[in-house]
Amino acid sequence: MRVFLIGAGQVGTTIVEALHEDHEITVLDTEGSRLQALTSRFDVAVFEGNGTSRKDLAAAGIGRADLVIACTSRDEVNIVAGMFSRREAEKATTVIRTSSSEYVELWREGQLDVDFVVSSELETAYAISSILGVPAARQTDVFADGQVQVGEFDVDEDASADVVGVPLRNASLPSDSKVAAIIRGDELILPRGDEVIRHGDRIVVIGSPAAAKAWSELLWPEGGIVRDVVIYGAGRVGSAIARVLREQGLSVRMIEAQRDQARRAAEAFPDVRVFNASGFDPDFLERERIGQAQAAIFAMRDDAKNQYAASLARVHGVPFTVAIAHEAVSISAFEQAGIDVSVNPRAVTAEEIVRFAHDPRMQQVAMLEGNRFEVLDVTTRDTSRYIGMAFRDMPVHGSLIGAIVRNGTAIFPHGDDVLEAGDRVIIFTEAANAPWVVEAL
Amino acid sequence: MTHAAARIGRRRRIAIDLWAVFNLVGSLGKYLGLAVIFPIAVALWYSEPFWPYLLSGAVTSGLGVVLERATARPDTRLGVREGFLVVALTWLLAAAFASMPYLLAGGAQLSSPIDAYFEGMSGFTTTGASVVTDFDDLDQSLLMWRQFTQWLGGMGIIVLAIAVLPRLRVGGRQMMESELPGPEIGALSERIRSTARRLWVLYAVLTILQAVVLAGLGWAGVDEAMTPFKAIAHALATMPTGGFSTEPRSIEGFSAETQWVIAVFMLIAGANFALLYKAFVRRRLRLLPRDEEFRLYVALVLGASVAITVMLWGYGISEGEAAVRAAVFQTLSIVTTTGFATTDFAVWPAVMLLAIFALMFVGGSAGSTGGGIKVVRHLLLGKILRREIDQTLSPEVVMPIRLNNAPVDERTLRAIAFFILLYVGMWAVGASVIAIDSAVSNVGLGTLDALAVSATALGNIGPAFGLAGPMGSFAELGDVSKITMIGLMWAGRLEILPVVVLLTRHYWRL
Repeated sequence: MRVFLIGAGQVGTTIVEALHEDHEITVLDTEGSRLQALTSRFDVAVFEGNGTSRKDLAAAGIGRADLVIACTSRDEVNIVAGMFSRREAEKATTVIRTSSSEYVELWREGQLDVDFVVSSELETAYAISSILGVPAARQTDVFADGQVQVGEFDVDEDASADVVGVPLRNASLPSDSKVAAIIRGDELILPRGDEVIRHGDRIVVIGSPAAAKAWSELLWPEGGIVRDVVIYGAGRVGSAIARVLREQGLSVRMIEAQRDQARRAAEAFPDVRVFNASGFDPDFLERERIGQAQAAIFAMRDDAKNQYAASLARVHGVPFTVAIAHEAVSISAFEQAGIDVSVNPRAVTAEEIVRFAHDPRMQQVAMLEGNRFEVLDVTTRDTSRYIGMAFRDMPVHGSLIGAIVRNGTAIFPHGDDVLEAGDRVIIFTEAANAPWVVEAL
Repeated sequence: MTHAAARIGRRRRIAIDLWAVFNLVGSLGKYLGLAVIFPIAVALWYSEPFWPYLLSGAVTSGLGVVLERATARPDTRLGVREGFLVVALTWLLAAAFASMPYLLAGGAQLSSPIDAYFEGMSGFTTTGASVVTDFDDLDQSLLMWRQFTQWLGGMGIIVLAIAVLPRLRVGGRQMMESELPGPEIGALSERIRSTARRLWVLYAVLTILQAVVLAGLGWAGVDEAMTPFKAIAHALATMPTGGFSTEPRSIEGFSAETQWVIAVFMLIAGANFALLYKAFVRRRLRLLPRDEEFRLYVALVLGASVAITVMLWGYGISEGEAAVRAAVFQTLSIVTTTGFATTDFAVWPAVMLLAIFALMFVGGSAGSTGGGIKVVRHLLLGKILRREIDQTLSPEVVMPIRLNNAPVDERTLRAIAFFILLYVGMWAVGASVIAIDSAVSNVGLGTLDALAVSATALGNIGPAFGLAGPMGSFAELGDVSKITMIGLMWAGRLEILPVVVLLTRHYWRL
């Protein structure tokens, strides 16, 4: 597939990273230095030019593209580029990135002439909302209209003895779920029945949302359901998170240092208590009992502030902290600082955009552990050689089927179940294997 | 090129364009004089002398034309500053215009210029306080003129609320915000003129409807006392929440049905006209229960009616339907600042007087013809207080105050608190002056009576307690008290601020 990418920033780079092996990519950006950095790492064509210039787009060869992705950090550029792409490359699928939920609304109403609109803020908010649903998970994603959830969990000292130190076939695991992988240091294990989960492992579980919650409770027995959240930062990201969490009925408090921003948030969310405070003042944290919240989300613009505020919130007793990491490098720093989960909006956005580049049979992709593993949602072909084969007879090949969706219902298959044509398969695989897996099914 | 020193010229210290103000007031007076056509027609119908009205109209229009011509200047500025003075002067001069027929045809009881001006101001501010004691001595046309001044005053208030006050706040934001708190009126139509015209039509249609219903009751024999003349007269005083009556004992002499009809129209007159327009003309009735001010207005009326019914029954003053009717009517009359009465509440026990007294501070809805503090200001003040209490505990919490789900500007909120403070202050000063004057000039006005007289004037209600009760008259009050009341009626009608602004030095001089 020929992919034309406008914008070589963080989102663009992440997309290139995920797609460069299987696709022919052209990247257009105004800054030569960014393009140079990109060519030194990946085999992509680059063009220095303006995404809002039809001439530049045409010269860079947008007309030959099958997929046009406009993912600069500026909404206006993306919209104009998307518009020109419609004219220059009539057959291409056009995807634009936006940071405004208003454009998403417009697109849903059919007012914006592009195929897909991906909003960093909304994707981030959805990601955070699914994390709060399964608080023990480091990372989680939902598939098949919410019927299948994939979660990545750390197994630490608190984990229940029901699952740790027992061969998997003997362990009392939550029903409708499967351990897809065990990550032990740098090693990846696709577990068989005799494998044992140990403390310090990181595991990937595929199962129903209820099973994912059950896993969360097994691995974090003290934890409950998150009903009460404090959000630091009422900017676009913070507000999007607040909106999504309020829609799910969570009780939300917000802390925002800028007076105007705080006022806007308070006007937008009548049932959210908004504080005009930095969140770094111990007196304030104590007086407002911020420590009593079940979870805190740090969505301020500055990663350093997020990290410090998260540590401070921990000190005041907040049990679960989720921080936005605007810079990819912050993720490991946050992990060091004891923040439970970090979310990089650009990575989330890139992940969402990448799925448009996959085979049309593919519904959705999740990337885990950086980009080492992927979870794919693929519809099987009639001609696949695995049709009619029982799951226990299938080869391993560094991948594992976690669930199938048959006639709209999720099934968590056992060894003697048989794959049928037209099944949607939720499959966990190493990233390098992904094209082979899609091909085989 | 002229020399710089020559260009600098004289010092110009007057901050407002008086020519423009007089010019506009003159042109308003020119048209106002035409209002005498109605009493002239009534006088001709009843074969009464019509020359007092003709003379009053001629003088008013004539002076208006002269003033307009004399002050015409090529480049005048009519901005926010000038607007305050225009509004203030217009009501002063309209009251003078209204008082001319009283002086010319009112006989002995209206022969004093202060009494005549009092009656005129009470009419044009839709107050309804009267110095008339002998109603039989007045011509039918003069009685109708009293009612008609209230109706004209009500029309003026609609324009004031829609066209003038919002425009004044364009520049004088912090002073004028409190005139139109929230999203009413302005949102009704982009163009102020057409909005005003629509609300005028609504106002006129409701007046005609009430007159027809009342006349119908009389014609059908339900109410023997209700003649077409009285039907028109009382309709003219209900929609503007005026309260003048052609009867010495207000509405008491009419049947129960008439009293209920008038109560319903008072309820309507005390609601926001823009809201009524949307609800009834645009057929969006759901807006009524959704409007926070309307909900509180109805709740207050219901609550007070129940309380007063219980007290009337408990004290054995009346019972059954009569008690409910008396309670509902008096409550509506005071809350909407109309000032009619079906019973002499001045003789009620002290607890009930206090209840009536408290209702005097409610006022109608914003965007109605009612005066007083107004329901929406109470509503927002309550919300401000609740927030203050909350912020005592959590100083950092940000709580925008909402009215009908829309956040209200902080400056508006400050202006509302300031308005209420000013209102109460002005009421207290007025009450003191009236109490002292009554004591000095040996008028039998008690302390609570004096407090009520000040409140009734400032709130444009009408009746007070004691000798100034609903069946009494303000005639016995001293001149100082009457002048004070004139001032209070005037200031209260203009929502105080435009009047107070005129008292500041920097309004006039740089």
